[in-house]
Amino acid sequence: MSAPTILWNGRPVPFRPGESIGTALGAAGVVAFGHDPAGRATRWFCGVGACQSCLVRVGDRLVEACLTPASDGLVVVSADREPEAAR
Amino acid sequence: MTVASVLVVGGGPAGLAAAARLAESGVAVDLVELRPALGGAFHRRPIDGVAPWPVGREGAKRWARLTDDLRRPRIRIRLRTAFLGLDGSGAALLDDLAAGRVEALRPDAIVVATGAVERVRPRPGWELPGVSTAGGLQMAMKETGRIPEGRILLAGNGPLLVALAGQMIAADRPPVALVEAGDPIRHPIAGLGLLAHPRPLLEASGHVLRIFAGRLPWRRATTVERIEAVGTALAVTLRDRAGRAETIEVDRVALHDGLLSNDHGLPEVDDGAPGRPIVARAGDCREVLGVAAAEIDGHRAAEEVVARLAGAPGADAAAARRLAHERHAQQVLARVFAPARLPVPVERLPRETVLCRCEGRTVGDLVDLVDGADAPGGREIKLSGRFAMGLCQGRFCAHWVAEAAAGLRPDAPAPLSGDLTGRRWPARPVSVAAVVASALPPER
Ligand code: FES
Repeated sequence: MSAPTILWNGRPVPFRPGESIGTALGAAGVVAFGHDPAGRATRWFCGVGACQSCLVRVGDRLVEACLTPASDGLVVVSADREPEAAR
Repeated sequence: MTVASVLVVGGGPAGLAAAARLAESGVAVDLVELRPALGGAFHRRPIDGVAPWPVGREGAKRWARLTDDLRRPRIRIRLRTAFLGLDGSGAALLDDLAAGRVEALRPDAIVVATGAVERVRPRPGWELPGVSTAGGLQMAMKETGRIPEGRILLAGNGPLLVALAGQMIAADRPPVALVEAGDPIRHPIAGLGLLAHPRPLLEASGHVLRIFAGRLPWRRATTVERIEAVGTALAVTLRDRAGRAETIEVDRVALHDGLLSNDHGLPEVDDGAPGRPIVARAGDCREVLGVAAAEIDGHRAAEEVVARLAGAPGADAAAARRLAHERHAQQVLARVFAPARLPVPVERLPRETVLCRCEGRTVGDLVDLVDGADAPGGREIKLSGRFAMGLCQGRFCAHWVAEAAAGLRPDAPAPLSGDLTGRRWPARPVSVAAVVASALPPER
């Protein structure tokens, strides 16, 4: 059985069940998450949902990568990318 | 007779203790937690199939006790739910993150137990990818059971760094070095105060022994002057007590300069207005005293609320005594870790240093704003300077901006951190879509 994956900016990234998008990206060596709509670099920082510097886009919503569970086939893109880039 | 209902915000030790004690008193409890699991920071739960991060015998017992007590009727747990605040009518607004909709509750009382956030001193480069808080690194470790790949540097000030270094050594993945502004082992006399606190003393000595046995470079009385991106690595320049600079290359930097109450945008403790719920705070969000105190304070807050629901004043002398003991432990630790190399005052950092990450505001921006003829107040710094205006609501910058503004204008009244953050809800950013999709009855 192959490990479940999220689709990060079009590339499959494996995760372990229960993991957040943020730790899955971290384990895959993705340190820079792109940029937020204001143009600042995004990354894992506080890990507790307080700093808002880990924002990524899931569908048409910006979510905290550190709070949001990964799920198989979930399409996730950098916060500054258009939602269409996800498809 | 209708049963009173209480909303408990936060599923860490303070919130869990409060929820259990409230339910025991016959109150109906809604417990909301932002994450998909209870636990809070100290007792963060690992993902399926991963052993919990060791938290010591005391810690394991505490967790067993907290979760045991939770098995009571009348506690409804809602995970992945954010508390946004109290609206004008006194309704508590909850953002159901999974469903993406906002819901209103009308509890008789609220216990806010949202824990602490870390203080991270601004330094050039602190905003770079690869730089996290030490607690943030620790959360990733506790959740996944793994330490991220690469060379990791721990830096800043305070006992949390020592504990994290000890845990990493125990897991066979020591950090490259531990950089500490204080010089804790130079304070044997101050440290003697810890003898009154065998539990934290034992814990701390375990970590310190591991640091020495593991030959970890422990740079005391040393600060991080700047961090620069070099390819995919980070070049970190340190400055030691003799003023010597040294640059080391790492892949990740974890910074930490202490803890603050996570009380931004929360309703004031009980404004007493009719139609509004009683509001109490518990744990680190009331006063940062650590995990043992959080459990005591959760029980205390629950008893206060129960008493006040019955119309009685709610003071608990025994809890106050136990909290004073925990406060003393924190005071001793603060003395032991007092910075031996004083950090550069924020206002004297290089102009390009980012102060407020969300809005990209720098030290130079603040100097220009504050150096005018009239010293601006906190609200003006926020509104015209766009400091503490961003998504984190000033959690990571407001206190530094206030400190720097005070340093720049000693002639003027110092702006307060609270003036910068404002005291209004929402306590968290909420998506417009969630509000639109909400089941809220129309107001006014
Ligand atoms: S890392 Fe701070 S909110 Fe996610």
